[in-house]
Amino acid sequence: MEEKGAQMAGSTHTVRVPIAQRVLEANDEIAAGTRTQLERRGIFSVDLIGAPGSGKTALLEATLRAVAGRHRPAVLVGDLATRRDGDRLARWCDRVIQISTGEGCHLEASQVRDALGRLDLEGVDLLFIENVGNLICPVGFDLGQSAKVGLFSLTEGDDKAAKHPYLVAEADLLLLNKIDLAPYVQFDRAGFEADVRLLNATVPILDVSAATGAGMEAWLDWLEARAAA
Amino acid sequence: MAIVHEFSIAEALADQVLAHAPEGARVREVEVRIGALRGIEPDALRMGWDSVTFGTPLAGAGLTIDLRPWSIECSSCGRAWTSSVPFVSCECGNETPTPHGTDELDLVAISVDEEET
Repeated sequence: MEEKGAQMAGSTHTVRVPIAQRVLEANDEIAAGTRTQLERRGIFSVDLIGAPGSGKTALLEATLRAVAGRHRPAVLVGDLATRRDGDRLARWCDRVIQISTGEGCHLEASQVRDALGRLDLEGVDLLFIENVGNLICPVGFDLGQSAKVGLFSLTEGDDKAAKHPYLVAEADLLLLNKIDLAPYVQFDRAGFEADVRLLNATVPILDVSAATGAGMEAWLDWLEARAAA
Repeated sequence: MAIVHEFSIAEALADQVLAHAPEGARVREVEVRIGALRGIEPDALRMGWDSVTFGTPLAGAGLTIDLRPWSIECSSCGRAWTSSVPFVSCECGNETPTPHGTDELDLVAISVDEEET
């Protein structure tokens, strides 16, 4: 009954109890429920993860403009304190829910589930979840999304992929934003891709500019192909 | 920012430990296993653990962190080894061996004091 190494101390002894369970199991179970709900409704969902200033909101604005009339999108946007991102996106989409995370550096599955409960999903076929600006914390928290998209940008520097291996390894797609700034910033595009390839041999990398619209078509093609699959 | 991430994990861990600990039992030690991909700083996780358990029945419980390293494989000479960082050179001169990390984040076991019966 006692395991090896149990210590006797007065009238108590210490027993080691094996558990072997995922620490984030509670989060993962909620995410699994969300995934089932979204799949049943035929909604393709993207968890968009990128650093502050990488252009997550700008990319979504451009994306919402581009899919207008062809798709029925909805957006959940996580932000620490303000409603600014949500207000920007609401100009292009009538189904936007802002999730204020307070001090939380990432979205968790329960926040997404609760926000979806406040959203009219009738007819919706695309769901974008803009995570809190952060390349580390959001990666490990499953939200129930169909795909995880990592957003990097030229102005962050070409070493960001190497410094954030979890996002690169887990991403279904990587977007490299602000390519319109290529003439003005030092960015070793080949080195960036080589780092990505060491961590993830197959993830597509698409160069885009949310500002000029360059490369947006390839991103939309990817979305529509994955949504139809 | 990374510290906040470790705090959330410490919170989830504390909830989970409380759910598994027998009623009223004092928890002495908590063992976790964490894959390299998770990017967790053990010191930050310990700080988070001490903070979220402060003033709770788990206060004073130790945290044993089994941090699984990166497996590095050199495609040039075939050498394989483990490393705490993913991007390292091989002694054969190859500057880009391939890193493989795992992403487990598991509560392995807890040690609790039990009354003699």
